[in-house]
Order: sequence, then C-alpha cells, then structure tokens
Amino acid sequence: MTSGSVTHLLLVSSALFSIGIFGVLTRRNAIAILLAIELILNAAALNFVVFGRLMGSVQAQAFTLFIIALAACEAAVGLAIVLALSRTARTVWTDQMNLLKG
Amino acid sequence: MILGLIPGLPLAAFAVLILIGRRLGRLSAWLSVAALTGSCALTWSLAGDVLHGQRLAVSWAWLASADSLWRIGLAVDGLTWVMLAIVTTIGTLIQLYSIGYMHGDPRFSRFFAYLSLFCASMLTLVMADHFVLLYVGWELVGLCSYLLISFWFEKPAAAQAGRKAFITTRIGDTGLLLGILLLAFTTGELHFDRLEALREPLALHQPTILTIIGLLIFLGAVGKSAQVPLHVWLPDAMEGPTPVSALIHAATMVAAGVYLVARTLPLFTPQALAVVLAVGLATHLLAGSVALTATDIKRVLAYSTMSQLGLMMTALGLGARELAMFHLTTHAWFKALLFLGAGSVIHATHKQELGELGGVFRHMPVTAVTFLIGALAMAGVFPLSGFWSKDAILLATQPDAPWLFWCLLGGSLITVGYVFRLYLRCFHGPAHGHAVRTQESPPVMIVPLMLLAMGAAAVGGGGLRFVHAHHEAVNVSMLVASSVIAAVGILLAWQGVVRRRRFLPALAQPLAAGIYRLVSHKYFIDELYDRAIIQPFLRTTDRLSRFDLTVIDRTVDRAGLAGWSVGQLKDWFDRRVVDRLVNGTAEVVRVVSARGRALQTGLVQHYLFVVVGAAVILAAWVR
Repeated sequence: MTSGSVTHLLLVSSALFSIGIFGVLTRRNAIAILLAIELILNAAALNFVVFGRLMGSVQAQAFTLFIIALAACEAAVGLAIVLALSRTARTVWTDQMNLLKG
Repeated sequence: MILGLIPGLPLAAFAVLILIGRRLGRLSAWLSVAALTGSCALTWSLAGDVLHGQRLAVSWAWLASADSLWRIGLAVDGLTWVMLAIVTTIGTLIQLYSIGYMHGDPRFSRFFAYLSLFCASMLTLVMADHFVLLYVGWELVGLCSYLLISFWFEKPAAAQAGRKAFITTRIGDTGLLLGILLLAFTTGELHFDRLEALREPLALHQPTILTIIGLLIFLGAVGKSAQVPLHVWLPDAMEGPTPVSALIHAATMVAAGVYLVARTLPLFTPQALAVVLAVGLATHLLAGSVALTATDIKRVLAYSTMSQLGLMMTALGLGARELAMFHLTTHAWFKALLFLGAGSVIHATHKQELGELGGVFRHMPVTAVTFLIGALAMAGVFPLSGFWSKDAILLATQPDAPWLFWCLLGGSLITVGYVFRLYLRCFHGPAHGHAVRTQESPPVMIVPLMLLAMGAAAVGGGGLRFVHAHHEAVNVSMLVASSVIAAVGILLAWQGVVRRRRFLPALAQPLAAGIYRLVSHKYFIDELYDRAIIQPFLRTTDRLSRFDLTVIDRTVDRAGLAGWSVGQLKDWFDRRVVDRLVNGTAEVVRVVSARGRALQTGLVQHYLFVVVGAAVILAAWVR
C-alpha cells in the first residue's frame, strides 16, 4: 500500500469527520445531529482501518468491528432519547427545547 | 356595717335597676321601695342610741397615706340622724306614690333607678364625716337632679330646665369645692368632728380666711338650696315629674344646702353669718312675694319652698342650728304633702294652671283634705307642725333683732296668703270644664298622702321635745300673734280669691299693677341674667368663634399648607434623586448582566462550537 493512497484515504476520513462536525454544529434537527455523529464515528473507524493496513495489523480491523457494534448501540440509545424528548417537548428541533432556560 | 347599709341598699337597688330594670317591669318600683324602706328601718333602729347623744361612726382608709386626712367614714349624730329620718321616711312615701304617678311611663324602671341613686347619694352626703365624701354625695345629688328634672327630655322645656338646674348649681358647687380646698390647705383637716377645735386658732390668727371659707361653703349651699341670687333653677325644675319635685323640695336636693351650713356652722364667723342671714331673709321675702302671683300650681309651691328655705337660712344666720333643722323637718313633711297633693290633682285633671282649675274638692275629697292639712301646717296654724318650727325661729329673733321679727312676721303673712290662694283657687270656686271625668287617685297615691298628712300634723309637737335650745313650752303671746296672722292671711286670701274683691282704692291701682307686673315676672331676674350674663357670654363666644375661624383656623391652614409644600418638595427630591439613584444602580446591573446573559444561549450547539473552535485554535497553536 502506497503512502499516496494512505494520504487519500486519510483525506476522505478527514472530510467525513469535518462533514460530521459541521452537521453537529449546524443542524437543528436532533435526528440529523445523530446522523452527523454517526459520520464522525465512521471517520474514526476509517482511520483505524487505514492505519491498521499501513502497519499490517489485524487488531485495527477488530476495533473497527467493535466500533460498528457500538455505533449501532449508540444509535439505538440516541434514537430512544430523541423519541422520549420529542414526546415530552413535542418537537425534535433542538433550539425549541429550552425547558431549562431561565 | 349597719351604717354602710343605709346608703348601700338604695345604691344596690340602683345598680340592679339600671342593669336589668327593664326586665323587672313593675317589680322594679317595689324593689326600689323595699331598699329605701330597709334604709328607713335601719335609721329608725339607730334612733335610741343617737337620741341619747351617742355618735356612731365607721371609717376606713381611702388612700393609703400616713396622713389622717385621707380616712373617710360614715358617722351619725343627732343632726345627721334627723336628716336620715327625713330622707328615708319621706323618700319611701314619695317612691310609693310614684308607683301610681308614673304608671305606664315608658321609662318606668329607669325612673326608679334614678330615684334610688338620688336617695343613696343624699344619704351618703348626709352621713359623710368628711368634706370630700360629702362633696362626692353633693355632686351625685346634682347629677341625679339633672337626670330627673329632664326625665321627660322629649319636652324641650324639660331638657332646658335640667341643664339650667345643673349649670346654676354648678356655680355654687365650684364655690364649695374652693372652700374645701382652702380649708384643706389652711388647716390640713377635713373631718367634721374636728371643726369645733379648728375654729378657735383659725379665728384668732386668720379671721379673714375663715370668713372666706365660710362664704365659699355658703355659696355651695346657695346654689343647692336655691337662695338668691342662684335661685333661678328651682322654679324651672318643675318640668320634671311631680314626685321628683316633691323629693327635691322635701327630702333630697335643696335640704342639702341647709344641712351643709348646719353641719359646718362652727366655721362661720359673725361676718359670714350676717351674709347668711341677709341672703336668707332676701330669699324668704322675695320668693314669697313671687309665690303670691305665680299661676302654676307647682311654681307656687316651688317659690314657697325657696321662701321656706330662706327662713331656714335666716335661722342659721342667727346661729340657731336646731331651729333650722327643726323647720327643715316639718317643712319636709308638709311640702312633700303639698307637692304630692298637687301631683294628684295634675294626674287626675291633666291641668296645672290655676286659671283652669277650681272646684276639685267635690271630686277628690281625700286629696283636698290632705292638701288642706298641709296648707294649714305651712300657714303655721296651731297645733300643726309649721306653727312650732316657724314660731320658734320668730322667737329666736326676739332678744337682739326686733326688726327681723317684724320682717319674718310679714313673711309669715305672705306664706299664709299664697298657700291659701293656691288651695282656694284649686279646690274651691267654679269648675272649668275638666270636672266631668275627674276622679280620686288610686290608693297607691292616696295612702302616702294620708301618711304624710299625719306626719305634717304631728311632727311639730312631737319634735319640739328634742329642740331644747330656746323654749320649752308654748309661748302664749307668740301663739296669739301667729294665730292672728294665720287668720288674717286666710281671710285675705278668701276675700281675694273667692269673692274676687279688690283691696286697694282705685287711686292706687296703677301703682299696684306696676308692682304686680314686677313681682309676677319674678323681679325680672331671669331677664336680668339673660341680659347681663347669658347674652354677653353668647356674644363673647360668638366673637371667640369668629376669631377661631378667621385667625386661628387660617394660621392652622397656612401651617398645613406650608407642611404640604415641604412635603411636595420632599416628594420631588425622593422621586428625582433618591429613586433615580436606586433605579440607576439596578439599571447598571441589568445592562451589564445582559451581556453575560447573551453568552448563555441554552443551545448546546453554541457551546459545542466554542469547544471545537478552541480545539482547532489549540491544534494550530501547538503545531
């Protein structure tokens, strides 16, 4: 595997991460934010795989499998929270969830 | 203990009646009568001891002080006992009579409550062994007379009469109070039993002060006993119910003045006694002459009371205390009798003008006969009570004041004249329309009349035994003179009233008419007081009121305005300066904190943006 391809892969990963951060910071919809967080997680997982391939290690791929499993759990818990919130606040828009604001 | 019960029983009756009298109804009268009857019985039970010269006394500490001045007590000696006997006995009969007279009055029980208080305060006054307690009773008597005279206060005349009585006697009361204070400050002693001992040193060292004390005390008696010049209230007091008039005239109110002078006689210097004598004589003749012209039954009797009180004062002026008290006693009987008889006539006919009455004898024989007995007693016909007491006073003038004897003899003639003019015009002569339905009063009114008539007939001869001072047996020349006077007086009254004969030749008629006008207007004394005292007083108060309204009120208004202006200024300062400082502080805090608040948007993404931004900057900086 050439260092050039590593660079490209890392660029993809960075792009994914940046898009995720951008989504988290700009989206108002709670579900959209959850999706953006998934992007960040996947960017991290891609980094694991890329650096594992570069070092010839299998452990990185195992980590990635765990990350995918964890991402599934996280998505389930996150969606449950969003569901509960939307029932309580009658909205999924985060800027309208201001119960604690004085 | 017994002594305390004598005024205590009527006082208790008053307390009960004033609180729950309305619920007792007719029973309240009997309660009041029973209480006074109890006092009467107690008084008579003391008779034995007192008439043997004993002095009964109880006393207790009033104000805790080492000074014996503030011990008060009740004491009964001969003088007091005579008054007690009069007040309780005659008071009981009058209360009994009132049951009939006041029958059906809406404030029936209230009336008896006042009567009880009246008797209780008079008994306190009489039994006091100390000037201050006497003064308490004195003022209470004044209050009760006010309440009872204006008892029918719905009538403006009655309310006015009550006020007049209260204010006029108050002038005298002030004199008495000043006298008491002067005595207390000069000698430090106010007990009656030590007056004799006080007299000598005081007469020696401060004769002027002693005279002033005597005159001030006498001023109190002048007010209470309606002597000239404070006599104007008594005729007007006739507006009260007739039993009240009887009580005031016979037993309670006016007797207090005579009693006071008799009690404090040791304090009177010869000069003071001369004043007492002059006032008494003036009242005797002046009131007697007015009584000859008065046309209202009760007013005739009122002026006769003043006249007789003047006679008592004259006796006191002579220093003859026993004779004054003797005449007070006999007078109490026949005057109560005459008043209650007049009340009986008024009750039956509802008329009290002499011009509208006449010929009542046929319809009310018992009232008429008892009234005649009272009139004869008052005229001093032998052997009824008035003869003994009046002639004793006439005799007392004999050795050193013969001119006084002739004055009093003239007074006696006037007395006979007015009392028989009253009797004849009321009970004889032509009837004036009222006679058809007139009938005798109920037994509860008739029985007291008969008892009083017996007393009026008998008290004189019986009482004479206790007046040792001047003569023991009947003085024959006096008897003759008195009988002649009585006969002449009755004859003149008969001629004038029944035959309507004119005594004077036609030439003297204008002069007589002038005199009649003067006398029948009570010597214009009321008008004089109105002109000389009341109107100037009203004018002065009017001026003072105007002064108050213009000067003082305006000053007060100005002061108020000034205060208001200062307040406005303070308000402005408060709003513009103080409030702005406070509000400004708050505003500064609010503005400053508003910046801080903007940071706290409550949106997680804003915070997160800061975190990410900080991480990026940090990363850039670290590299």
